[in-house]
Amino acid sequence: MRFPSPSVARRTFVALLAGCALSASAQITTAPKHGIRENDPRLHALTNARVVTAPGKVIEKGAVVIRDGVIVDVGPSVKIPPDARVWDLTGKTIYAGFIDSYSRIGLPDTLKPEPLRSDVDQDNPEAKPKDVPREAVKGMHAWNPRVTPERNAADYLKVDKKAAGKLRDLGFTSALVVPGRGIFRGSSALINLQDADINRMVVSPSVAQHIALDFDRSDDGGYPNSLMGAIALVRQNFLDAGWYQAAQDAYAKKPATTERPEANASLAALAEHARRKQPAVFEAEDELDLLRVLKIADEFKLRPLLLGNGYEYRVRKALAEKKAPVILPLEFPKVPEIERPEQAVEYQLDELQHWDRAPSNPARLAEAGIPIAFTTEKLEKADKEFWSRIRLVVRRGLNKDAALAALTTTPAEMFGAADRMGTVAPGRVANLVIASGDLFSEEAKVLTTWVDGFYYDSDLADDHDLRGTWEVTVDGKTLPLIAEGEPDKLDAKLGGEKVGFSATADAVLLVAPARLLGGGEGGVRLSGRLAGDTVSGTGDAPAGATVRWSARRTAPHVAKKPDDKPTPGDRPLDFPETYPAGAFGRVAPPELPRAVLVQGATVWTSAAQGTLQNADVLVTDGKISAVGPGLKAPAGASVIDAKGAHVTPGIIDCHSHTAISKGVNESSHAVTCEVRIADVIDATDIDLYRQLGGGVTAANILHGSANPIGGQNQVIKFRWGGLPEELKLTEAAPGVKFALGENVKQSNRGHRSTRYPQTRMGVEQLIRDRFRAAQEYDAAMKKKDGLPPRRDLQLEALSEMLGNKRLIHCHSYRLDEIHSFLKVTGEFGVKPATLQHILEGYKVADEIAKAGVGASSFADWWAYKWEAFDAIPDNATIMHEQRVLTSINSDSADLARRLNTEAAKMTKYGGMSPDEALKLVTLYPAQQLRVDAKVGSLEPGKDADFVIWNGHPLSNYTRVNQTWIDGRKYFDRADDMEARKSFAAQREALVQKALAERVKELGKPKDDDSKKDTQGDKDAAPKPPGSVYDSGGDRDTCSEHEHAE
Amino acid sequence: MNTPNNTSSLRSALVVGAAALSVAATVCASDIIPAVSQTRPIALKGATIHPVSGPEIASGTIVFDKGKITAVGADAAIPADAEIIDATGKHVYPGLISANTVLGLTEIGAARATVDIEETGAINPNARAASSINPDSELLPVARANGILSALAVPEGGLVSGQSVVMRMDGWTPEDMAVRSPAAMHLRWPNLAINRDPRASKSAEDQQKEIEKKQKQLRDTFAIARAYWHARKTPAADFRSDLRWEAMMPIFDGKLPLFVHASTLAQMEAALAWAKEVQLKITLVGGNDAWRLAPQLKESDTPVILALTTALPRLRDDPYDTSFANPARLHEAGVRFCIATNARGSEAPHERNLPYEASMAAAFGLPREEALKAVTLYPAQLTGVGDQLGSLEPGKAATLLVTSGDPLDFPTQIEAAYIDGRKIDLTNRQTRLRDKYREKYRRQ
Repeated sequence: MRFPSPSVARRTFVALLAGCALSASAQITTAPKHGIRENDPRLHALTNARVVTAPGKVIEKGAVVIRDGVIVDVGPSVKIPPDARVWDLTGKTIYAGFIDSYSRIGLPDTLKPEPLRSDVDQDNPEAKPKDVPREAVKGMHAWNPRVTPERNAADYLKVDKKAAGKLRDLGFTSALVVPGRGIFRGSSALINLQDADINRMVVSPSVAQHIALDFDRSDDGGYPNSLMGAIALVRQNFLDAGWYQAAQDAYAKKPATTERPEANASLAALAEHARRKQPAVFEAEDELDLLRVLKIADEFKLRPLLLGNGYEYRVRKALAEKKAPVILPLEFPKVPEIERPEQAVEYQLDELQHWDRAPSNPARLAEAGIPIAFTTEKLEKADKEFWSRIRLVVRRGLNKDAALAALTTTPAEMFGAADRMGTVAPGRVANLVIASGDLFSEEAKVLTTWVDGFYYDSDLADDHDLRGTWEVTVDGKTLPLIAEGEPDKLDAKLGGEKVGFSATADAVLLVAPARLLGGGEGGVRLSGRLAGDTVSGTGDAPAGATVRWSARRTAPHVAKKPDDKPTPGDRPLDFPETYPAGAFGRVAPPELPRAVLVQGATVWTSAAQGTLQNADVLVTDGKISAVGPGLKAPAGASVIDAKGAHVTPGIIDCHSHTAISKGVNESSHAVTCEVRIADVIDATDIDLYRQLGGGVTAANILHGSANPIGGQNQVIKFRWGGLPEELKLTEAAPGVKFALGENVKQSNRGHRSTRYPQTRMGVEQLIRDRFRAAQEYDAAMKKKDGLPPRRDLQLEALSEMLGNKRLIHCHSYRLDEIHSFLKVTGEFGVKPATLQHILEGYKVADEIAKAGVGASSFADWWAYKWEAFDAIPDNATIMHEQRVLTSINSDSADLARRLNTEAAKMTKYGGMSPDEALKLVTLYPAQQLRVDAKVGSLEPGKDADFVIWNGHPLSNYTRVNQTWIDGRKYFDRADDMEARKSFAAQREALVQKALAERVKELGKPKDDDSKKDTQGDKDAAPKPPGSVYDSGGDRDTCSEHEHAE
Repeated sequence: MNTPNNTSSLRSALVVGAAALSVAATVCASDIIPAVSQTRPIALKGATIHPVSGPEIASGTIVFDKGKITAVGADAAIPADAEIIDATGKHVYPGLISANTVLGLTEIGAARATVDIEETGAINPNARAASSINPDSELLPVARANGILSALAVPEGGLVSGQSVVMRMDGWTPEDMAVRSPAAMHLRWPNLAINRDPRASKSAEDQQKEIEKKQKQLRDTFAIARAYWHARKTPAADFRSDLRWEAMMPIFDGKLPLFVHASTLAQMEAALAWAKEVQLKITLVGGNDAWRLAPQLKESDTPVILALTTALPRLRDDPYDTSFANPARLHEAGVRFCIATNARGSEAPHERNLPYEASMAAAFGLPREEALKAVTLYPAQLTGVGDQLGSLEPGKAATLLVTSGDPLDFPTQIEAAYIDGRKIDLTNRQTRLRDKYREKYRRQ
């Protein structure tokens, strides 16, 4: 039999008390006072406490003296002012007040982040989705509604007392309140969490500018609707802020003779941030965003702080170089539901690894020397989860002092408040935490917080711990009582039998079966008062008789030391970390042998030497040094016996959308050449590895075809295992994507659009107009008088095109549009690099050749849309015959893996020679991308990018044995076979680990609120995170048919 | 050279002939005229014959008459009235069979008016592909020019998508073209994967509910159809017909095969368990994850029509060659399978690449002769026309290819093709456009 605990009622009661602990104030206020003034003395001495003055600095027994909200004295032997109110804190620990480094407290819903999905209740579809509109923008501001740097969180604050109390109960005395919508989100405010009006709470009204790479994910999204669009918008706004300031200054100097610049609060706010050198806090959604925002920060010389996402450990080397502090949410993935095998296969290794490793993230970052701070952000039930997570990260190796620093000194420094907060020292604001013990390693509680010199008891402060061994005497009969378990949920046994035993403040209640205490049916209710270790009072026996009782604690509770034996949750499994994480990631780049000799192969040089039988390729220091028969291996060279094998240059894909994060198209505007694929390279895309398995060594990563003038492309090498920057083929000429025809006139959309252009006529005019604009921009940028010229990244890119410094790769199909495009570009002296797809190129091959423009086509795709209905598989052959520089591309993560066979089709359709066919995917794309000085053929001096095939490279029965880039072996089928086994073993070990946790969870009743968390701590689990990596493929390219071109 | 109509340079004759014809031709609906019926026996002599059902014959003769093969062998007797074609140096193969396509039901994916592949609603057992095959589709001549002479045209979408037809790729009307109709009923197993991305449009719980709802609908559908089948046997006076359940009756009679489209391990396991429970024999179509449950497939003797051996691996952790090697692994496990493409609108124009789906599997471990069977004999067997198509055997249809080499590899040209003994035109919209513009440059 179990007796109910009265603890619930008690809790509510105490919480109410705590709320009105102090409302008095002697502070100066500007508001008129009504009624009687309250001027409580504000001199306190907190004595006999263990004082942790700063991380790693402890006064074992000391005092803190507070006067008027400021700490005036701290030390082991402090002189206590006689007029101070003295608080004896024997056995308690004092910390500096904690700072929640990222909070939404007090903000209206319109400034809180949008929910990730607008959940419609399936059972009640009428119910409104949770979607809350963005705070409207009014007045003079940036043209884009996502750009609201002028917004100050402090202007919107309305702090709910209960919410502040909840944070205080965790030990937080301050919080950085961050507006949560848009790209430039506005300024955060540092507030103290006291019960007072906002004016009193705000410590710093403008701490940092907050920036998130947010974009419209809806189908008909406004600008930006891709990650690269968001980055472009950030970049342009930083430039505009600088220009705005300069323009205002220029105007102020000569108002009579200068054109008046626009008034723009957003740009003014950004300029002000720059002038005050305030930090910029970037929200990073995933591991790649971390690197991206640091790059932006570098570009504009900002002082970056990062809001992390839990994946920081994966890129910690790169983060450590920048030393940018990271604010860490404590959200960890829940246990993967792998108990059913068909379910388990859907969990990918990177996801399982992350579940296992996420709690070690803070420790790994701290080890790497990266400053960290913590936030309650993203915890669904911070009040229950926060401290168990902190203790978990400490068990995972985060030094306790570092954990304390992450809550005190680090955020204080980050937010420019180190002179006021973060330590317990004279001169600091009296923000303190009084805890029952060491919060970071034991189940200690926050008892009281002091904020600005006011104290707030937590709802635990008045709790009395009844645990221990007692002697209970009821009407002369004495029985032993043993109370264990949690202080608020005692496990008590009287005479060996379970009884109810609890305390509300000092009121003790003992409910026991009557037969234990003299007989009878029913229960005896005994209530009494606690004084030290004794209780005395009266009670009711079942018969109605009043009994007297008392109890005496004979032995204190001996806290069972939390099992020091590490549990499986205390450490991640011991597998090497790879980049990218998950299957087929690399521990380190492939080694670079001094020399490599590939011997005895059929060597397809794609160069003057043609195809050589029984020949060798010598590679020295990553470059090809010789090709020919009977080459000698230098000393120490690694020799590859390639008899029977074929060697070709690495395959180059002139049209790819592999390795692009969050949006291949910025499809909102018709002209988007300010957006850059370079900003969004995804080095974790598994398709890179898969394509290495098909011999691809480099690719032209293109923006999609949603706009006549699209985004800038990036040529990469498939240096799998490298970070995005390490993939870039920096020697490639910069370029841009253009598109003509059905996609840009949006004719295959379900509904009629009104974006200009809607016809091929309009496409031609738009291109003409923008070239004109670029000419005029060039002229304007040279002007010396008047307002300073405004740098416009879109026009700048166009201007580079006019100067033929930026290559145009133009998606095109029909002969009329090709013809017109060549005419317009010709008029402006622009020579496009390639026409992409160019499925009707065979109709105007002579014109294309005459214009000196390249053509990059599919082998045999057709009929997926009207403009592809005249496509023929002889297209590439005919263009090649007409002396057009021609290549075959994939535009598809699948086809990219077998571009050799796409080229081979040209031997079938039109009878191209095998050597020329291979050049369609080696030398010719290299020439089109202007990288043929480095890659594209096997010639001395070029990069050692080559493929070893197990047979004729133009046969479909052939597969790749090895793929080399820069003289390093990035793919080896034999190694791959081994890797599958080892990754499968790792996967199995993680599944087993997860299974143990799942079995525990599954044993619980379904509605149990306290579902087991990841690592066996006891709080509710957050949402499933999913794999950050997708499973590959070009799924987010665009719609099926759009993707295909 | 003992025939009026054949030269050793068959290929150049074709090209020149086609050029002459097509420059004048207008480019609209396919203007290719169906081939005329065979009027006398034809003997292809001196070729390397690949019967597929048996060992290749290095220099053999194949004879066919009235649309059927009458003799195959090194010394097959040639009837006196036969047209003898010297095919020395050539190769003869059975026509390739595409076992999972929407050819005939679609023209241009992005032009909705030309697409008839998916009826609205979830339960469309009465939809028949055979009723909507467009014999004038420009896609058909392109596919057959690369050796695809028969195809299973499959309706898409919903839960029960409808009935497929095995068609010959030549004819005046859909009826002319039908080899077997209906060929199978197509059921698409609901998606069972839960998108755990926090940005997914529905929560994991809601997705789970939807999955359960769809699986229930599937069970209900078959339970109702079975009840109808019982009721229909001895109809009550007030019996009312229902075209949907009517269409499903042959399934319970054991006359119409049930093809279940399923790709993931979870889907296939669920389909196998369900088939066992309702005691229906099924053929799986799709099968990305088939290698994961090869033993179960073998044990239950469930054949698989593999959709695209060139599909990207379904999961990030899957090895890069997962789909390439899928057929080899099924072969090793003794599972019956054939190789097909994907019955999707986007795939239809590219049906001509079916042979390369097979050779890709061979590059990753499938024996070459099995790769050939996987696009000839096996699809014939799995689509219920194994007695008529898929190999060169007496009694089977004279649906065959004369090639310059292995039709599964690139340099090979299909030089002639016969469907039921009728010599078909291998030109198409694309060869006409090619010839037109080659003429442009020739004149320059």
